[in-house]
Amino acid sequence: MTILQIAILTTLAIIIGQMPKGRPLAMLAISTFAIFWLQPNEPFVTLTFWLPVATLGITAFSWAICSPPETRSLRNNWPAATVIMGVVLLMDLNRYLRFDQIYSTGTPVIQQAMIVIIGLTAVTLLFVRWKRASLFFSIIACTGIVLLFVIMKTPNLNHAVLNSFIALRTANPESKTIPLAWLGFSYIAFRLLHTLRDRQSGILPPVELAEYFNYLIFFPSFTAGPIDRLERFVKELKTPLPLGNEDWIDAGTRLFVGLFKKFVIADLLAIISLNDILVTHVKTAGWMWVFLYAYAFRIYFDFSGYTDIAIGMGRLMGIRLPENFNAPYLKSNLTQFWNSWHISLTQWFRSYFFNPVTRVIRSAKIPIPIWIILFFTQVSTMVLIGLWHGVTTGFALWGLWHGIGLFLQNRWSEFFRMHNPIWNQNQGLSAVVKALGVILTFNYVALGWLFFTLSSPAMAWLAFQKLFGII
Amino acid sequence: MVEPILIALEEYISSKILKQPGRKIPPQELLISSGLIDSFSLIDLALYIEDKFGVRIADTELNSQTFDSIDQLAALIDSRSLK
Repeated sequence: MTILQIAILTTLAIIIGQMPKGRPLAMLAISTFAIFWLQPNEPFVTLTFWLPVATLGITAFSWAICSPPETRSLRNNWPAATVIMGVVLLMDLNRYLRFDQIYSTGTPVIQQAMIVIIGLTAVTLLFVRWKRASLFFSIIACTGIVLLFVIMKTPNLNHAVLNSFIALRTANPESKTIPLAWLGFSYIAFRLLHTLRDRQSGILPPVELAEYFNYLIFFPSFTAGPIDRLERFVKELKTPLPLGNEDWIDAGTRLFVGLFKKFVIADLLAIISLNDILVTHVKTAGWMWVFLYAYAFRIYFDFSGYTDIAIGMGRLMGIRLPENFNAPYLKSNLTQFWNSWHISLTQWFRSYFFNPVTRVIRSAKIPIPIWIILFFTQVSTMVLIGLWHGVTTGFALWGLWHGIGLFLQNRWSEFFRMHNPIWNQNQGLSAVVKALGVILTFNYVALGWLFFTLSSPAMAWLAFQKLFGII
Repeated sequence: MVEPILIALEEYISSKILKQPGRKIPPQELLISSGLIDSFSLIDLALYIEDKFGVRIADTELNSQTFDSIDQLAALIDSRSLK
């Protein structure tokens, strides 16, 4: 998001926050508008319009699958459905209205948009009528979303999809190298999986169309999280938190701090942040460490800045989004780091991967040594968290680095807990050990970023060698 | 009654998770956010609770937002075992 976009959305959030009635529908209208407005231009022009439509379509199907019969009545849901369809049509009509500064005018002709909207609505209605088979459909939907996620996040598959779209339209397609960027899909997909899985376990609260959509595409958290949980979000959507003088100051401070982190600190650090070119050209280890640390702080300030902005904006509308960061670089071990870095994502993976897998293994009562279970579950969880960022070797190695780190740290902590070392009995020594822990953890995380940000494992290895003066 | 639940939880956590039998854990002491109980031991704790009290704590609830102390956990178990 640009500063101008943030300013406009913040103004809209303030207006919505002051509305005594009709907040959910106003939020829904702005969120629907925002997913079109913020979607970057695609090399295949009309995808800029169709990708947000696909987001809405998938969300509508998932709602139909997730919602119990009592929330499906047309009487309660037609206003939300009208708002969503109205905004989509309005965006499409920009082909004729020509507000170039606001939105692309390269939208498809109105007939095409109408056919798709009617088609999506018909399929959603069919799902709504098909009440009894929802478990079957929710399994299909989960599988479909995971597959779609893998396709979007795997560079080769992503290119193949984009080029096949281009081939549909052009006789002599040129291969495009820019990836197809489906804005917000990583977060949407994980929110959808959360609702579908909780529906299967029978713990998802019943929600209406407006509530479900607002949770899924809430404009402050649509592009960069936090992921949040439906039951928590809907509670505050129904009864927004009051906005007293102190809350105004809190929200304003959060927004200001976020903007400063993102557009001043992170953008300045970007100039000296580690990248392939720097790795190739830098000769001394000292500078390599400077660039590496610059990157480590840049990614933190950039991402946590976005989170601050989202939280501040949400607060203006009476919704407290969950915290995503809690001073991660000041933690004295890797477990604590992961309890305070991208919290909503790690919480998601714990809820839907680590916990169920560990539960199954532990309930089986098979005599597997604990360290083997721990190694397997921690490494697999972290590799999956890595792959969430993109299906590439670099992200997988980054996950592996952290999985192994977590495992080693766990065994280390366990060993010293059993043997009550001398530093636990002396406050001064304990503080020194803690400080060393902070330094060690930060450096371990920083080295991990090599796999995350550099283009290939070979480049990461080159950087690693230069950092330690091997070459 | 919450009291027997409190005692059972304290005993299980100190002997089986922390491996320090007899260690006193204040009912308000933070367990998860402080890092005292790691995510792996949380599963064992959930399985123990299911076995002992017949109360299921779902995978999505094993976090400090749902409970973070023996007090809160005992209250959660108590409220569910009444149902």
